[in-house]
Amino acid sequence: MGKVLLKNIENPDSADINEYKKAGGYSNLPKALEKQPKEIIEEVKKAGLRGRGGAGFPVAMKWTFASADPKFPKYLLCNADEGEPGTFKDRPILEKNPHLLIEGMAISGYALGAEYGYIYLRGEYPEAKNILNRAIKQANDNGFLGDNILGKGIKFHLAVHQGAGAYICGEETALIESLEGDKGQPRIKPPFPVNVGVFAKPTVVNNVETLSNLPYIIEIGGDAYSKIGTPDCPGPKLYCVSGHVEKPGVYELPMGTILRDIIYTHCGGIKGGRKLKAVIPGGATTPILPPDKIDCPMDFVNMPKHGSMLGSGAVIVMDESVCLVKVCYRILKFLEHESCGKCTPCREGTGWLRSILGRVEGGEGMEGDIDLMLSVSGNMMGKTFCPLGDGAASVVQNFIKHFRPEFEEHIKNAKCRFK
Amino acid sequence: MIKVTINGKEIELEKPVTVLEAARSAGIKIPTLCYHEQLEKYGGCRLCLVEVEKIPRLQTACTLMVTDGMVVRTETPQIADVRRGILEFLLINHPLDCPYCDKAGECELQDLVEKYGPAKGRYKEKKRKAPESLEDPVFVRNMERCVMCTRCVRMCDGVQGASAIAIINRGGHSHMEPFSGGKYDCEYCGNCVSVCPVGAIMSRLHRHSYRPWQVKEKTETICPYCGVGCTVIAQVRDDSIKRVIPKIGSSVNNGMLCSRGRFGYEFVGSSERLTSPMIKKNGVLEQATWEEAISLTAKRLGEIKNKYGGPSIAGIASPRCTNEDNYVFQKFMRVALGTNNIDSTARTGYAGTQKFIENIFGQGATANIISGLSNSDSVLVIGGDPTAINPILGLQIRACSRKGGNILAIGHIKGLEKFNPVTVSPRFYTETLLLEGIVSALKNKKGLPGSIPALEAKIKDISTSAKEVENGCGIAEKDFIRFTDTLSESLTPSIVLGKDIAQSSGGSYKLMLISAINYLMNARIYLLSERANEQGVLDMGCAPDLLPGYRPLSFAEFRKRYENAWKSPISEKPGLSIFEMVDSAKSNALKALYIMGENPVFNLPNSKAVKAALKNVEFIVVQDIFLTETGKLADVVFPALSWAEKEGTFTNMERRIQRLRKAVNREGMEDWRIISEVAKNMGVKLDYSGAEEIFQEISRISPLHRDLTYEEIGKGGAIYPYKGEPLRGVMEDIQMHKGSSVNPDGKLYLRLERPLFHSGTLSTKAPALVKIYPEAVARVSPAVGEALSLKSGDMARVSTRTGSLELPVNIDNKLDNLSVMLTNNFEDKGAFSLMEYTIDPVTKAPVIDANEVKLEKVLA
Ligand SMILES: Cc1cc2nc3c(=O)[nH]c(=O)nc-3n(C[C@H](O)[C@H](O)[C@H](O)COP(=O)(O)O)c2cc1C
Ligand code: SF4
Ligand code: SF4
Ligand code: SF4
Ligand code: SF4
Ligand code: FES
Repeated sequence: MGKVLLKNIENPDSADINEYKKAGGYSNLPKALEKQPKEIIEEVKKAGLRGRGGAGFPVAMKWTFASADPKFPKYLLCNADEGEPGTFKDRPILEKNPHLLIEGMAISGYALGAEYGYIYLRGEYPEAKNILNRAIKQANDNGFLGDNILGKGIKFHLAVHQGAGAYICGEETALIESLEGDKGQPRIKPPFPVNVGVFAKPTVVNNVETLSNLPYIIEIGGDAYSKIGTPDCPGPKLYCVSGHVEKPGVYELPMGTILRDIIYTHCGGIKGGRKLKAVIPGGATTPILPPDKIDCPMDFVNMPKHGSMLGSGAVIVMDESVCLVKVCYRILKFLEHESCGKCTPCREGTGWLRSILGRVEGGEGMEGDIDLMLSVSGNMMGKTFCPLGDGAASVVQNFIKHFRPEFEEHIKNAKCRFK
Repeated sequence: MIKVTINGKEIELEKPVTVLEAARSAGIKIPTLCYHEQLEKYGGCRLCLVEVEKIPRLQTACTLMVTDGMVVRTETPQIADVRRGILEFLLINHPLDCPYCDKAGECELQDLVEKYGPAKGRYKEKKRKAPESLEDPVFVRNMERCVMCTRCVRMCDGVQGASAIAIINRGGHSHMEPFSGGKYDCEYCGNCVSVCPVGAIMSRLHRHSYRPWQVKEKTETICPYCGVGCTVIAQVRDDSIKRVIPKIGSSVNNGMLCSRGRFGYEFVGSSERLTSPMIKKNGVLEQATWEEAISLTAKRLGEIKNKYGGPSIAGIASPRCTNEDNYVFQKFMRVALGTNNIDSTARTGYAGTQKFIENIFGQGATANIISGLSNSDSVLVIGGDPTAINPILGLQIRACSRKGGNILAIGHIKGLEKFNPVTVSPRFYTETLLLEGIVSALKNKKGLPGSIPALEAKIKDISTSAKEVENGCGIAEKDFIRFTDTLSESLTPSIVLGKDIAQSSGGSYKLMLISAINYLMNARIYLLSERANEQGVLDMGCAPDLLPGYRPLSFAEFRKRYENAWKSPISEKPGLSIFEMVDSAKSNALKALYIMGENPVFNLPNSKAVKAALKNVEFIVVQDIFLTETGKLADVVFPALSWAEKEGTFTNMERRIQRLRKAVNREGMEDWRIISEVAKNMGVKLDYSGAEEIFQEISRISPLHRDLTYEEIGKGGAIYPYKGEPLRGVMEDIQMHKGSSVNPDGKLYLRLERPLFHSGTLSTKAPALVKIYPEAVARVSPAVGEALSLKSGDMARVSTRTGSLELPVNIDNKLDNLSVMLTNNFEDKGAFSLMEYTIDPVTKAPVIDANEVKLEKVLA
């Protein structure tokens, strides 16, 4: 299989519409417009496409709900907030292959009956904003967006909205609040965005990578697509690998590629030949794995069976020089900072956990701190309003689960040996 | 029918509700904190988590809707742990300063912790710190105690509609950024305070002055300020009102109050209250005994009556006094003094407007239920800002907009500007043309219904095009068309009408046009009312041409009925209106004036002339709670009991009769009792054992109040006409007066500002309201200010033909370039001291919109 999502990105002008077209781009939108919207959704269903934003929700199911809702207009939102620490997989699409996303959104918009789309862009991607805006203009000028797409009387407009840097705004309902101009905080569900989303209208929120799969599904058909990667979770997947590997970067590989292979085959192994200490396989809030647990297929269905989650596909590799108490502290510090404050357990719990971790890491841990952290995270887990709070609890629980002796050592010796 | 099982108990529900509501309906308690029945769902505190079969995650009972067959458990060991855990989280950063906190005793967090909370703390880290803030005039804010439930914000945004506060920052740094020194248009309603579950935002008025459990006396009564008639609970300790709060479920205001109702009560305990009767000796008021004052009053009134006849005496009743006070007063004037010379400040607009509209549409036409406004699909607002004059009514207009209704505003209505009003603002003195344009458009769109020929005769020849409106009023044709289209497409419209119309030139003609709009749209009409018993004072017959029950004096049949009831003849000659009393005083014809609870020397336009006229009057009696400008002119002054110190009834603008209950004990007499004592000294029997007996007489003889009892009124739904018959079908000819046209170009006019935070001079005796709105200011547009290089805070001299005042300037960018706005609330700084008036011959209301004014900068 050639590259689908990262196709042609070595070309320095890949973001230009002509280069995209030269490489076969915008040939699937006309094909899609020949089909009935329902047929496209059917193809997506056959393809078995799951959302790439973190939760792996079946895309066709979400679309079916939204298109079944009688309210108009409908909206398509592209989640380009990419805020999960360690994640930078959407960035090459946004910066190097924007037309793939635009073509995907145009196809999706048509399938959904949505006439307006927004790309909610991570605040820290100013470059991508310019690139996207230029690409949207080109697409409009070339009739791939606008009031009358390819002369077929189909309407789809696209605009970029830049976030202000809050991680929580990647959560789809907080994203909608933020897009509406309110403070980014998750909304009560139900009603779900597919029924009552942005401006109280049916709304589909999908990740950049998710939507970028659409042209290819149209190109090869749902059946063929479903043969790529894991049967229950097919398709190409972007893995962004960071940390102590020889060749960090974004890798397009079939879904279900074994984590060990990603690290050792594709990324050239641990930097300097050092020993692997731990891997966080799917972004900072996914459960950490010790070296003996990395023979797992990296997809949405298999990772939970192996004690973690695929999340955003952000693989963070740590070698033996790393203090995991400090890593845990840093993640909690991030989550405390990013907690929106809406719900009690997350607002108060993240800060409490961060304080204890800070003490332990700084050599001021007390006996009982580990159990206290487990108890506090237990009081959070399953009780928060949105997954951010659960994520924070899970980080602490999993770090302690796999690396408890390291925490104990910090408390006992009242210092960190990595310093 | 939906069946759910909660803790093994089967519950049947008619319609889908939340699990919390279902549980409560079955008497099952689930602890909550962010939930509040008046507010939108939130689901943030997580205290109400429950187990639901088939749903793996715990669910918040306050947000989850029940579905048929749902099985819920609220009391399991797991849930107990969850609650302990959540409460622990809420406490870790809480200062635990209950012994010092005013909320202790009625704090939801305290109660919850006591019942469900952890026994000891495990938090060893530093607590978040935030100093207590006293930067606001009436609120104290302690963000360390805040539990981030956002109840305050949801109240301010979603119910009050002020959007003055928000939670700013994120996560543990979140805090409520409040009130903001005027930055965000806080309306000081305090409704956020009502819903705060903890001691994070509280009123400063009672700070550290009592504990909630020490207020034994909680009296349910009616707000003393405006014609909405909100139910309030006065909480009293040691005969001093400590706090006034609303009541959820009360008929008019359902848990809401405005700034005046909530924070305006302190006048009751003011040290400036009159304590003893006074008699003027050698030009100076001196303390006297009750006996002296009463017998002097009786003697002098008797003498004057004998010498000059009853019609040389007049009475001014009070829209702030009870129905019972007013009833006894007019009976005294008619029976003891033999004159119909009785009137009130309702004459300044409300009375004439109501009479005009009722003449066309029948009695009760303006008595519409306030809460019904929110169910209208459009509300047309003209003649004043309802959100300032009758704030709780204003909330219903905001609610109408929130439910998708349209607000149609004639002129800029500040309190509704956030609610997408469709606004048309006519140039000065062109409102009439605009109204004609609207009537023309509606006639074209809807046709004439044919049911009121007399009204149709008045409008049949009116034909004003959108183009003419554009040229004449300066309203773009498309804006006018949008306005009339929106209006005409409305199916259940309401009209909210303020006093500015009656007080403008051509007022009665405009009222005819507004009546025509009401007629063509089949709308409901609401009259804004500035005083708590403005309706009641009319219904009690405190008008020169009305007998109790709003019965016209001119009908012999009614006169007869009252003559029989009172066993006394009643003069058939209509009395003097309040303005005719002034004229009569000026010409020396008026010899005595009896004033109950009113301050005409301040509250009538051209107040300097009023004062000069009153100086001619031989004998003036004033009953009041403060020594007013009018009181200072009096020969006898009686200290009256205030609103909080007596029983009685008020009738609000819906004509809902409501009970005032005594909250505070104070020595002295009610207004009616003073009058009855004077009568007794004149040999006239006007004896009652109490307010209730007076009301019994009213309900016996007034057809509108027939069979109404205090017990019945206490239930809250006593809306007039109560079991009574409507007045009559006879319609008098519709008279109107077009007024003269004025070319305002290049001039400035003095206009009356009717502020949210004040009402008459009464509110200026309430320190909290004075802190919020401390002094009279001259409000002008930026352009007017600039022309004189005036900035906010600069001093300016505001002069008219009758005098001048030096006032600080306030630049208001919502104002037009022809107006100088000034309130009539602050002693010696009232707009009325600078205003002359003419009288509209039809409504008898004072026309005050033609006062040219000069503005000059005063150099420091
Ligand atoms: C705290 C939080 C942060 C999230 N951030 C992102 C993000 O940055 N990008 C993203 O695509 N999805 C993010 N999600 C997931 C979205 O809520 C949503 O599931 C996703 O956009 C749906 O798109 P998909 O079905 O295509 O994956 C986040 C979820 C949570 C709870
Ligand atoms: S878990 Fe609660 S506080 Fe945390 S981000 Fe989600 S809603 Fe906000
Ligand atoms: S007092 Fe009223 S207007 Fe002011 S913040 Fe509170 S709710 Fe809002
Ligand atoms: S101030 Fe009170 S009502 Fe507002 S969020 Fe804090 S605790 Fe809740
Ligand atoms: S709206 Fe009127 S009656 Fe109600 S609280 Fe305010 S002033 Fe009092
Ligand atoms: S009361 Fe239900 S979450 Fe707060």
